[in-house]
Amino acid sequence: MNEGEIIKYLRNRFGNKIRRTDICRDRRFYINVDSDCLKDVCKVIFRDLDARFITSIGVDERQYNGGFLVAHNFAFDSWKLLCSLQTNVDGDSPSVQSITDIVPASNWAEREFRDLLGIEPVGHIYPKRLVLPDGWPDGVYPLRKDFPYDSVPEGFDENRSFKFDDAPPGCVVVPFGPFHPTLDEPAHFRLYVEGEMVRGCEYRGFMAHRGIEKLGESVLTYNEIPMAAERICGICGCVHNVAYAQAVENAVGIMPPPRSEYIRTIMLELERLHSHLLWVGLACHISGFDTLFMHCFRIREPVMWIAEKISGNRKTYALCLIGGVRWDITEELNQELREVIGKLETSWREVVKAVEKDSNLQKRTRGVGIADKKLVKESALLGPVARAAGVPIDSRRDHPYAAYNRVEFDVVVSDFCDVWGRLIVRMYEVFESIKIIRQCLQKIEPGSIQATITDEIPVGRFGMSSVEAPRGECHHFVITGENNRPRRWRVRAPTYQNLQGVPTMIKDQQLADMTLALASIDPCFSCTDRLETVDIKTGKVRVYSAKELETLFLWR
Amino acid sequence: MMIKILSALTNVVIVLAVAPLIEGIMRKITARIQSRQGPPILQPYYDLMKLLIKEDIESGESPSMQRFSAIMAFASALTVVALLPLGFGYGLSSHTDIILTIYLLTFCGVCTLIAGLAAGSTYSLVGISREMMLMIPLEPILAVALIIAATNSGSFKLDAVLNGSIYNSPGIFPISSIIILVIILASFQAYAQRVPFDISEAETEIMDGPLVEYSGPKLALFKYSRMIRLVIYCALFIGLFVPWGSNLMFPFGFLIFWFKVLLLVLLVTVVAATHARYRIDQAINYFAIMLLVSFFALALASIGL
Repeated sequence: MNEGEIIKYLRNRFGNKIRRTDICRDRRFYINVDSDCLKDVCKVIFRDLDARFITSIGVDERQYNGGFLVAHNFAFDSWKLLCSLQTNVDGDSPSVQSITDIVPASNWAEREFRDLLGIEPVGHIYPKRLVLPDGWPDGVYPLRKDFPYDSVPEGFDENRSFKFDDAPPGCVVVPFGPFHPTLDEPAHFRLYVEGEMVRGCEYRGFMAHRGIEKLGESVLTYNEIPMAAERICGICGCVHNVAYAQAVENAVGIMPPPRSEYIRTIMLELERLHSHLLWVGLACHISGFDTLFMHCFRIREPVMWIAEKISGNRKTYALCLIGGVRWDITEELNQELREVIGKLETSWREVVKAVEKDSNLQKRTRGVGIADKKLVKESALLGPVARAAGVPIDSRRDHPYAAYNRVEFDVVVSDFCDVWGRLIVRMYEVFESIKIIRQCLQKIEPGSIQATITDEIPVGRFGMSSVEAPRGECHHFVITGENNRPRRWRVRAPTYQNLQGVPTMIKDQQLADMTLALASIDPCFSCTDRLETVDIKTGKVRVYSAKELETLFLWR
Repeated sequence: MMIKILSALTNVVIVLAVAPLIEGIMRKITARIQSRQGPPILQPYYDLMKLLIKEDIESGESPSMQRFSAIMAFASALTVVALLPLGFGYGLSSHTDIILTIYLLTFCGVCTLIAGLAAGSTYSLVGISREMMLMIPLEPILAVALIIAATNSGSFKLDAVLNGSIYNSPGIFPISSIIILVIILASFQAYAQRVPFDISEAETEIMDGPLVEYSGPKLALFKYSRMIRLVIYCALFIGLFVPWGSNLMFPFGFLIFWFKVLLLVLLVTVVAATHARYRIDQAINYFAIMLLVSFFALALASIGL
């Protein structure tokens, strides 16, 4: 089906309840429905039309039309479509039907707009605080437009602690995190362990909030946001950078020149290379195989060097502006890049050979952290996790962007459903990335790297962009606004969905496999925790109070 | 007698001096395999010295038990060292028997358990439960090896056991001895507490398990006794299975002995660097089979094969 047929299908089912539809460029479309039939439309889209849930977004539009906007974004991967299903919500006591009983994957996203905008998802299956810190007062919603970005709310109670659920009978609680050698970033898993078996867990995350979305909506300008977006993640920063730029370009119809699209593709694939190399190394480290870990990092290093040579930085490339890129790939760099990926390919073949015949490593990873097709659908899992479960989704092919429609590559799929499968998928994706970079270097066209933008960016347009990060699809949603900045900018990193699948993946598994199963989604907590303003206290033991910390560092 | 006491003391001094060096060599070789520069070979000495002069922080549930377990682990390891032949003839080994040796070695392991229990952290509890599960098959395997040697030599005395008498079976060919040799070799990583069997410490899973709460001098003692235990197990292996040459006149016997230790350590390092860690259930399955086979070997030995 195409956009028109889907809309026709929905109109036949729901008639006038479909208020407004809008088909936009790049195979994106928007549907606005009555709030009382939101759940039913979701059901048809998610179950009957078999769409993949992306994320839910809440928008404060009270200063324009007195209400809020709630959007559920879906992707029709096989029809190469992105859809945003929207409904307007009353401004005084905002509430909306929860879709969690139909789309379990929307669990976090709905709790997020409840925490941050105060839109109540009625009938949510697990309405617990998700994003805000423990001491945050009730009834204060930081992402509303009338909440200044730099304010600390009255009544912040440092002593209030998070209430965890009760452990099931017969289980011991093993705290995993916020600080643990295999967690690069703070996150807390409360594991319920019986002997050596994990019977369940509760997650408390969002400990590294930096308020980046709020900053983007209230302080930064269109061309400053890409640099802030990049700092959402330390590993896949370029993905956020490109995804944001593309979302704005999609909203207002700016066409970046072809050369810049090739450069974006090359940098994204360079990033995937170093990320996958890093991940395979880490997986080996976690299973105690430090030798391969060291070799992976040795092989990865030249990728960082060439990235530094192109952009001036090993990691944060500061690549995109709206309508183009900032760094050109000269003939000399082109040549050098070819050499680097040539060498990389040879040495990576050796690593793949070593891993594939290592029965010891297979023993540790086979049957661990199972995520099958059903879990992928229900929790909307992404990237290598989905592809290792035999679900062939890849935004590069399904929702092509940059120069991906001009290069040939395969989507690596495996049927193991476990950590071993994810290892295989990631290892072979390295070869696909090398293939893509080679083609780009060959096909890259001469010309400008930045589109000339003469007009001001129009207000109130919607834009969506999906970029395949090394960990899965990264989705950015933008509503353009006044003052040279977006009115709403929502980021959904792949870990946001994949992390929701972890409790199921580790259930009834050995405690020893917990770290491996968690690492297999390549969790990126800073991506997930990108929102909000203040968070000081985590866990039971606190050395400094907020006040002490402030005097300690003398902020202002 | 005086000579014997002196040789026992020399044993202790030499092992205290050499054990960190062996650790340093292992770290250097590992680094080379991983294409790294690696720390200086003397790094373990610096580490121990640094830890020993640090403040003794008493964290954990039961500080006095923690102190006790650290000291006892170290002391029992040193006692075993005093009893073993380490290239100076037999030392005190003619005055002791294998039962005491097994007992002291087990006690050294038990001290780690006490250490974890006294620390009282969740991770150390998981660590000691793993350690305990590993000890259950590992101690009997070692005991079987010693008993087979004792049966063949007709004596429980350590000097009679640790001189290659394991091959002196009354039969034509010492089948049982060969079987137990293979088993001990295949489990040696576990005695050395290295990958793939360092499950009870597993840094990336349970953060060093029993030792998670320890720092300063107590940690130094545990680390030191771990290094010493590696030497002990090497010495036991050499005494049991490849004792030839250790009895030569000084310094030949001495040099040959430590050369053999080095070879064993090299083997341990290479295996550790090329393997991933087993999970506890996989390890237990592995050792359960080893244990069964070793009992079979014991049965063979008892009927003289």
